[in-house]
Amino acid sequence: VAKLSRRGFVLGGIAAGVTIRVNFLPQAARADVIGNPRDATPSWIAPDGRLRFRMDAVAKVTGDKTFARDFRAKDMPGWPAQQSHALLIRATRADAAFDSLDLSILGADLQPDRLVLGDELVRDGLAPPDGAVVVAPGFYGDTLFVLKGHTPRLLGQPVGLLIYRDFARFATARRRLRFADVVRWGTVTGYQPPAHYGAGRSVRIGGATPADPDLYAPLSGTIASGHFDGDRVVWPGAHADGTAGERAIAAAATIAADIDSASPDALVLKRRFYSQSVDASAMEPDNGLVWYESGRGILHAMIATQSPYEVATAATAMVAISRFDLTEVDLSIGYTVGYGTKDHSIFPYYCMIAGLYGEGRPVRLANDRFEQFQMGLKRHAFWIDNTLVVDRATQTFKAMRGVFRCDGGGRRNFSPEVGFVGMVAAQGVYYLPQSDFSYEARASHAVDAGSTRGFGTLQTMAATEMMVDEAAELLGVDAIALRLKNVLRSGMRNSQGAVAGGMLRDDEILAQMQTHPLWTGRTQLKAAYEAKHPGTRYGIGFAQVHKDFGSVAEGAITTLTLDPAGLLSMRQHGNDMGTGMTTSQAMIVAEVLGRAPDAYRFGIVDWPEMPLSDAPGAGTQDEQDTLSQNPRWTPCFLTSMSSSNSAFFIGHATREAARALLHFGLWPAAVAIWSAGPGGGQFGPVAPDVTEARFVDGHLTAGGMEPLSYPRLAKAAHALGLITGVSVHSFNRWQFSEAIFDVPTVGPTRLPIDALSLRYGAGTTPERKAAMTAGGFHFIDRQQVFYPEVARMNAGVTYYSGIGTLVELAVDTATGKVDILSHHSVLECGNQIVPELVSGQIQGGLAMGIGHALHEDLPLYEDGPGNGTWNWNRYRLPHGGDVAVWTQTTAVLPPLSNTDPPKGMAEVVMIAVVPAIANAVTHAIGKRFYATPITADQILEALT
Amino acid sequence: VTIPHQPMSLAVNGEAVGPVDVPTDMMMIDFLHDYLGLTGSRFGCGQGICHACTIILDDPAEGAVEMRTCITAAHFFAGKKVRTIEGHATRDAAGNVVKLTPVQQAFIENFAFQCGYCTPGFVTGTQVLLERLRRAPVPRADVEKTIEQALAPHICRCTGYVRYYEAVRSVILNTPGLVRG
Repeated sequence: VAKLSRRGFVLGGIAAGVTIRVNFLPQAARADVIGNPRDATPSWIAPDGRLRFRMDAVAKVTGDKTFARDFRAKDMPGWPAQQSHALLIRATRADAAFDSLDLSILGADLQPDRLVLGDELVRDGLAPPDGAVVVAPGFYGDTLFVLKGHTPRLLGQPVGLLIYRDFARFATARRRLRFADVVRWGTVTGYQPPAHYGAGRSVRIGGATPADPDLYAPLSGTIASGHFDGDRVVWPGAHADGTAGERAIAAAATIAADIDSASPDALVLKRRFYSQSVDASAMEPDNGLVWYESGRGILHAMIATQSPYEVATAATAMVAISRFDLTEVDLSIGYTVGYGTKDHSIFPYYCMIAGLYGEGRPVRLANDRFEQFQMGLKRHAFWIDNTLVVDRATQTFKAMRGVFRCDGGGRRNFSPEVGFVGMVAAQGVYYLPQSDFSYEARASHAVDAGSTRGFGTLQTMAATEMMVDEAAELLGVDAIALRLKNVLRSGMRNSQGAVAGGMLRDDEILAQMQTHPLWTGRTQLKAAYEAKHPGTRYGIGFAQVHKDFGSVAEGAITTLTLDPAGLLSMRQHGNDMGTGMTTSQAMIVAEVLGRAPDAYRFGIVDWPEMPLSDAPGAGTQDEQDTLSQNPRWTPCFLTSMSSSNSAFFIGHATREAARALLHFGLWPAAVAIWSAGPGGGQFGPVAPDVTEARFVDGHLTAGGMEPLSYPRLAKAAHALGLITGVSVHSFNRWQFSEAIFDVPTVGPTRLPIDALSLRYGAGTTPERKAAMTAGGFHFIDRQQVFYPEVARMNAGVTYYSGIGTLVELAVDTATGKVDILSHHSVLECGNQIVPELVSGQIQGGLAMGIGHALHEDLPLYEDGPGNGTWNWNRYRLPHGGDVAVWTQTTAVLPPLSNTDPPKGMAEVVMIAVVPAIANAVTHAIGKRFYATPITADQILEALT
Repeated sequence: VTIPHQPMSLAVNGEAVGPVDVPTDMMMIDFLHDYLGLTGSRFGCGQGICHACTIILDDPAEGAVEMRTCITAAHFFAGKKVRTIEGHATRDAAGNVVKLTPVQQAFIENFAFQCGYCTPGFVTGTQVLLERLRRAPVPRADVEKTIEQALAPHICRCTGYVRYYEAVRSVILNTPGLVRG
């Protein structure tokens, strides 16, 4: 079960490593966003508190150094000015043993100043981070570089590192090495990828009606695990009275028998789909700058990453067991972008290697685009075999079976998790009385695939939506009406037997779309367009999906402090990969406290005020029950920037910190001020409640009380020794943890967090002052904690945001080219923190989805990106002219109230457009496609 | 070292640079990044596809010309005047931004970008377009088509172009003298 921890991060091994070998490290490892005074101007907030633009906007629009890639050693405070430059030589075949490098092409002048090969790494005890610091054994593979006499695990695997002290020589050598064949190969061995990565199966048989108890479901049973016998998956035996896994397989057998014996009254639709391998093509290629200060054993690094906590801790673990002395890891990060591919990528560890062999100088390792294609994490290719059973008379879905085979390439990374998440999403927006979904995460010699926007759900849900469209055609019914008839409604169980958190509103989106003029008028529009544009075929397609956000382990920390002058400061672990999360977290504070923080730091890894550990991990309920007795234990300390998690999960920590500061600090301070004078002052006769607290123009008022400025409140809070700083840690496993804290000055309080630290104003008691030992905070040992049950891991999902997309397109019958004329999307995502950021995400997601549907494609193996010849000249990204810039429209469903949580929506927005395009192409030319991308050539072939 | 070098001088953002010894085959983007420390023009593809790396060449005859620095040798710019993204906004003596250009202001107010890696290229491409329209205004009805053509090669992976294009349209329509009719 622990293996299902999607991006959860187990610190057990590192904690052990730290205490034994380098016990300083929880304090010493740190990661900060590089401070940028030019970016710290408050102008992004208008005087009235309104958001004018992103807090990083000015820096980004003026070309300031913002990305990790922009930094050189001389830009790093305290680093030497002189640096070196490194490049990797990568394997372009994976069927023979590596023999040697022949760098004669470089001539005598351009030989590297330092050449590092795999044998040296082995000798020095350097291997990819593994053990308890990674999600699962072998997560990053077994070797960093291909060793002499060994066969590469995967295409693109590095075989050697070249370091140059001089930029001009480096730049010339890099150009000369591009496309050059400098690797000498030995014996042809055939491919030697790792063993396949994992298989799982989610089987559910519902009761007689959606309201009846499930006969079998993963939530009360289990996700059955399969193992591989060669390329074949072996599932547990089917036993109706056996283990949970055996009962799952027995239930699957029941479903299979039902499908096989389906009467002619049922439509049994069996289809095979393919979703291609894709390069996320984040515009900043992977890069890092690392300085190993050998005398002091300090590893300084500036790394482009979505997961700084993981990089800091795993790099620590990697180096701590090597021959290199390590006393401190000093990690800096910049703004970045990755769409998931800079989350748990192996690249930062190659940067660390470069630094370790830099002979005292900082070393920069920065991919060019060819190298990025060759090594960047890919979106998994999926082969999908689906069966959908629909009762013809009632047009209700009876059962669905799906087998999802994905190719993870030559490193495990998140392949099983991607398969798992794709599997649990496959039902789409429908209620399925019976479902049998399974994934097989396979290894190959392809470039490794990992966490990429969509995380498996793009692949499985797109197939479902193409299939439902075909089912509607075969049944002769309106495709949206069929969807509405089968839509998953609030309270209905998903394919794991779990009920979604909050109201499901897919039916509302469907109802809106059903009456949209593009849908109601599609027959007439088609006729009119084709009459007017001879040689073109016109089509309208629709699809709808909802996608989970978050993972089975979401840990977040926010610290808010109020200084004596009334200035607010925020510390946050999240970092900005373009989504605007730094801006939106500040706006969450503003929502509760009437103003955005005056100072803020993001990307924090070092948390002295939150001395928690998530080691060891809890794999079973018993383990969790025992471990949670320790008030300094949490199931997950921090999560990377991933799975659309900033708005809901990180936002939760930020909101709770802000609320706690209001309730424990600002409000008591205000009451004290208002209560001055006889009879309880102005407060006494009215006695408003804290729920009446409102901020007006940055002043706190309630029930007619005099509005109080922050400086006044802060002065009082500090003088009275009230709570002036709050740090909260939150944990979510498809449900937030809660805990009871005896809050000094307040009393026992139940909060939706699992750890709390407080800072008191100067006027506090000597005892409380003495208690502030955790980075100047008083860590409050919780009295009782309520963690979500471990079985929640099997729920797969309880948080959904949904989107429906209508696409209008024209197909040129002479060229096969598809021209997207317009599209309209309706999203449900709760309350939007910053609507402009949401709309940008929608539009960007739609563009990426258009790329997936029509343009982007990578062969997996020898002809693919691992061969080092791929770039954007042959890998076509959507341009402005491809996305219907001027005609696209979007709408967001109004929230049910202003208390709807903001929901993660960065991934879901790119998905529905993919099957919508496929369905529109079918409407246009009357042929169905079962593989993406749908190319002009395929369309031409279909037309002839 | 036998890498052929030649001294070169040029004007960058109004300031004289050089003479500097630069390898004859070095691309302009490497010169900007690793010799001058001007990293705002971004490396995207190295093939002239994505246009994240563009700068303005102020040509005496043609006016502002958008140039791809990843496929143009540094020495091409010897003796010429260029504007990089760092030179668009008005800055004080300490380098702090005092005033943005209308294009930059429109981009930030319209939340045109997310990660911002492509932004310098979009600012550059749009600035060149505006200066061209100042010399040769287009009919109001052709504004959208003009924007599409001018920015067509620029790749943005985050925001899907809409907010960029809308911002450019608003700058063009709100700047006197750029459109006819």
